[in-house]
Amino acid sequence: MDDPILHTSSTFNPQVIAAIQERAELGRYMIRGFGAFRNVPRLDDLVFLTASMTRLPLEGYREKCDTRTVLGTRFAKRPMELEIPITVAGMSFGALSKNAKVALGQAATWLGTSTTTGDGGMLPAERDASAKLVYQCLPSRYGFNPKDLKKADAIEIVIGQGAKPGGGGLLMGQKVNAVVAGMRTLPEGVDQRSPSRHPDWIGPDDLRIKIEELREATDWEIPIYIKMGATRVKDDVKLAVKAGADVIVLDGMEGGTAATQSIFQEHSGIPTLPALVQAVEALKEIGVYGEVQLVISGGIRSGPDVAKALALGADAVSIGTSALIAMGCNKPVYIEDYQALGTEPYHCHHCHTGRCPVGITTQDEDLMARLPIEEASTHVANYLQSMVMEAQSLARSCGKSSVHNLEREDLVALTLEASAMAKLPLAGTDFILGQS
Amino acid sequence: MTESLILSPPTLDCTGLTTREINQQLKKLAAAGADTVDLLNPQGRHNLAVAIEAPLKVRIRGPVGYYCGGLSEGVDIEVDGPCGWSVGENLMAGRILVKGNASACAAASAHGGTVCILGSAGPRAGISLKGGTLIVQGNVGHSSAFMMQAGTFIICGDAGHSLGDSLYDGTIYVGGEIASLGADAQLAPMTDEDNALLEQQLSPYGLATQDYAFKKIVCAKQLYHFKAQDFSKFKDAY
Repeated sequence: MDDPILHTSSTFNPQVIAAIQERAELGRYMIRGFGAFRNVPRLDDLVFLTASMTRLPLEGYREKCDTRTVLGTRFAKRPMELEIPITVAGMSFGALSKNAKVALGQAATWLGTSTTTGDGGMLPAERDASAKLVYQCLPSRYGFNPKDLKKADAIEIVIGQGAKPGGGGLLMGQKVNAVVAGMRTLPEGVDQRSPSRHPDWIGPDDLRIKIEELREATDWEIPIYIKMGATRVKDDVKLAVKAGADVIVLDGMEGGTAATQSIFQEHSGIPTLPALVQAVEALKEIGVYGEVQLVISGGIRSGPDVAKALALGADAVSIGTSALIAMGCNKPVYIEDYQALGTEPYHCHHCHTGRCPVGITTQDEDLMARLPIEEASTHVANYLQSMVMEAQSLARSCGKSSVHNLEREDLVALTLEASAMAKLPLAGTDFILGQS
Repeated sequence: MTESLILSPPTLDCTGLTTREINQQLKKLAAAGADTVDLLNPQGRHNLAVAIEAPLKVRIRGPVGYYCGGLSEGVDIEVDGPCGWSVGENLMAGRILVKGNASACAAASAHGGTVCILGSAGPRAGISLKGGTLIVQGNVGHSSAFMMQAGTFIICGDAGHSLGDSLYDGTIYVGGEIASLGADAQLAPMTDEDNALLEQQLSPYGLATQDYAFKKIVCAKQLYHFKAQDFSKFKDAY
């Protein structure tokens, strides 16, 4: 007998049905890691108009293409000087294993770039491994210590992140072991609900004073970044500049998280592409473009993503999820352990469970042993290097002797959505949706 | 800072100095081994005596703004006047004594040491407290001890609404009336140990435990792990 033709509701598709039934069991919102699953207009929807007759390319393997990047030139005595325009984003020890944190620091050091602490304080081994370390000041202040602050190379005040702008993170009890609980001053095994608002200031006028406090504590030596999830980007960026930021770090909705409500990941914030465009416009409108640097993050995966972000006006990009993937996240090994979590390699988003099959998002010693630091560091460093080479290749093909010389004029859009969001012409036309 | 100023009576007049200059001079005095300095004419300035890592005694003769003594470790500050938001924010060790009222978020996220306010404190006092002791002789505003994680919070007067909401751990004592407890905060019986601790903490400030009818508040631990049946508890919690 022929297989019957199955009819599938678009409204109540299998995933929606499963989600309703899961909530019927749980009685609460669903919590997961990874970031938004939905498709959004992204940097992939842009292409470069590389050199031909009107422009001259640089020789791909011979001519210099500078990648040096300096962040925090506005007020700090010691700006962050990086060899490449890619930094490693803040991810917490707690969400990540110690090996993962140390490997990220080691890889960043090899490439001459910075890595970032996370919610849960500065791990001594992470400080040792990271030549340039950004110390996050988060709403929770877990493990926040003035001694660590003074060891930092920059401070990042976290207002929010792309995966959960306006919402707090969660660290499920199974990851709050004795070490993590001790660093965070929490009862062991508790479901930790991170606050979404700082305890000691409310609003940008207070933040201005907070920033002065942090500068006083660090003798105005190191830059202060403000990291935000992308929502009302134009106003938020302007207020962050007014509050005294040296650097704006803007995280689009594709940004990752170890655990939060899936509704935040899918239904809040705007994609990285329009966020970047609006942030650049905001900086230009108030006359600080170039003076206040812009780092963009959220779904950056490749050299083309890096090159396009720089062409649209970012000074650097930051990577989180893709660095973990380089390390082995979702790699097709230990397949039975993925299956025990109810998933498969390439589909795993079970960071929140603490049972990461490849030892990255776990506090379990046996699982962590699956992530040797040297191997993980090498993979992340290789991946960073490959992205830099890709970005340089695109820059040279556009005739640019520095990746920072890439510009909007080098790009066109492949889709109407990207045209409208990037305010770039649709490829092969003079048409910019919303402008023409 | 010149050596002559260290040798002369340790007095620093804030008039005409930037906050940065004041803090730099305090740090230099501390490094030079000074034990006490009087800060004159603070004029409500923010960020005074921030991030001092020494047992320097700083007597501030007048009102201060936000973050007085914030991010410090081991400092001994006295404020002869009121103070603004977040006094003693992220204090690691040492003592801050405020002889007037404090505004919002007193001792926010402090990890250690003692913050003592002889007047009243505004809302969110002891928010996110991670250790140490916060003493308020007067009243505290709403949402005090919100998300408190550890430490001791002694309120001799009245507490505003939602006291101790979503606290993880630590102990709160209230000598006066409590407008309302927040989610997951509950009363617990006072013990001899509690009375001894109060006595030990309050007597240095001339406060007598027996003048107050202290109640003790601790975490009920009902929000530690989600339970599907506790609908209102999770819906109404912060």
